[in-house]
Amino acid sequence: MSKALNIKKIHDYLFEVPPHGRMRVPARLYLDERSLRELVENRSSEEWNAIRQLENVACLPGIVKAAMAMADVHPGYGFPIGGVAAFDPKEGGVISVAGVGFDINCGVRCLRTHLTRRDIAGKEEKLADTLFEVVPAGLGSTGELKLSPKEIDRVLREGARYAVRLGYGREEDLEYIEEHGCLSDADPSVVSHTAKQRQMAQVGTLGSGNHYVEVQVVDQIYNARAAQAFGLEVGQIVIMLHTGSRALGHQIGTDYLPFLEKATKKYGIEVPDRELVCAPIESPEGQQYFRAVMAGANCAFANRQVLTHLVREAFWKALRVPDTAIETLYEVAHNTVKWEVHEVDGERRRLLVHRKGSTRAFGPGRPEIPERYRAVGQPVLVGGTMGTASYILVGTEQGMRETFGTALHGAGRAKSRRQAKRQYPADRIIEQLRKQGIIVRAHGKASISEEAPGAYKDVEHVVEVMCNAGIVARVARLRPIVCLKG
Amino acid sequence: MPWEYLDHEADIGLEARGASLQEALRDGVRGLLALLVDPETVEPREVVSIEASGDDPGSLYVALLNAVLAAIDVHRMFFRDFELTRLERVDDQWIAEGRLYGEPIDLDRHAVEIEVKAATYGGLLAEQTESGWRLRCVLDL
Repeated sequence: MSKALNIKKIHDYLFEVPPHGRMRVPARLYLDERSLRELVENRSSEEWNAIRQLENVACLPGIVKAAMAMADVHPGYGFPIGGVAAFDPKEGGVISVAGVGFDINCGVRCLRTHLTRRDIAGKEEKLADTLFEVVPAGLGSTGELKLSPKEIDRVLREGARYAVRLGYGREEDLEYIEEHGCLSDADPSVVSHTAKQRQMAQVGTLGSGNHYVEVQVVDQIYNARAAQAFGLEVGQIVIMLHTGSRALGHQIGTDYLPFLEKATKKYGIEVPDRELVCAPIESPEGQQYFRAVMAGANCAFANRQVLTHLVREAFWKALRVPDTAIETLYEVAHNTVKWEVHEVDGERRRLLVHRKGSTRAFGPGRPEIPERYRAVGQPVLVGGTMGTASYILVGTEQGMRETFGTALHGAGRAKSRRQAKRQYPADRIIEQLRKQGIIVRAHGKASISEEAPGAYKDVEHVVEVMCNAGIVARVARLRPIVCLKG
Repeated sequence: MPWEYLDHEADIGLEARGASLQEALRDGVRGLLALLVDPETVEPREVVSIEASGDDPGSLYVALLNAVLAAIDVHRMFFRDFELTRLERVDDQWIAEGRLYGEPIDLDRHAVEIEVKAATYGGLLAEQTESGWRLRCVLDL
């Protein structure tokens, strides 16, 4: 199968499809033999397969070095999930809706607590109920924050800073968010009225699907120096929350898809898949979409900031834990496009990096990393699947050289949602998890079945591949205790 | 069912078939509504008008599905049914208008299934066959 696809093995954890047809650069996949075989066998259709999607990305103008996919790769729309691609504006580089996704700046925040496993023993049910009550989640839910059109514009311009200004969280949270929770190129004037209207009641809501709040315990430390820098030790309680820009981000994607399609025709760009519509980065259309995406990203930053506050509120209500005992460890984004400086073949270049379902994973020394972590590298947060472990990893020098400082974002889906729904009845999953000591609360039963641990790849294996490839290194493994699903 | 949900690893495909484009568009929207909330739990008490346009039947299909998703958030309502009231080609644009029937969101009564973020151009297909029209796209979940 891999021969028919002409996949070359670079080393045990990296495979490459050499450029062919209209591909401008190779397509590279961080996989081992086993995961490559799974990926090839899993190709459900000619167009809905991750390798073909990666080859298509490699055809886009101005792409630098390679179209790459991490070990959690699976089919998306346009770009595969787990993908990264960098574009050079000087070489006609483009910006693409499919390279960002509709959930703009969807990401994970990890909160570190002063609690240990013993502090919450016997109180898990109460904590789960309180989180369920305090954190609005699921389709149709509304946040406690009701914003006016003027306030929505401030959310879009100021991101998490605005949420902190409103009293949601603390100033020091901002230090540990990518871009300090605020992107300066955001422009609310290029975001439609519909997008803003959709969001008025949704800031501070979790959403559904794979979005969650999970209370976890650190059960293993692999790298003492990095763990110390990140403030982690065995037995400690941490909390991960995964959500994005909600309806506002979805509407920006929706609005700009036909907008960029017109630009694609105007600038005579040939795209192998209609979902890959794009505009030259420096064109007025490209610039406008970029400014809209930055606004959407700020909305996601604000959303996670409000949710952080709600999580603190739930811990206070359920366990009388003061909010100062819950600190932001770090926040990473999954669906982004960013200007970054990278060294390519000995030359420093300013590139527009699309990360679709992958995480920035900068190595030590980069100025973007908070000072406290700078010597060890950026924390990389890998979400688990309710029943399996999550990981805190750290970016490496090798990752900077090979993947524009990018790593995996989660376990990655292995089964379609429909398959999962047929195979994993929600009640059975909840019971199985309970037997493992994991308390689950969900707003929709469908999201339990669809997000069942069996629907995902083996997170241990996916992490192992990326670590063996040298792109990231393990710092800590986290085990779930309480999980709140949308 | 005149619509079908297709397997996709991360998301889901929505395919609608109809004797006419009008029918296929209508059933695509009905398929989307049934995916979000059990329509049996939603009363058709109020009407919301939506409109959409596209360069061709495929982009019109995507735009119409997205107009439904926007209507849910903007009006804070769930919908049980959809009726397509206008389908026209004006110059280079395909235009559709329709009416959604539903009621304000009541999470105690409405059986919510899943949240759809957007209809995308992924796997977009709009073809006229001997038996009618076939429309398909990937929904981002």
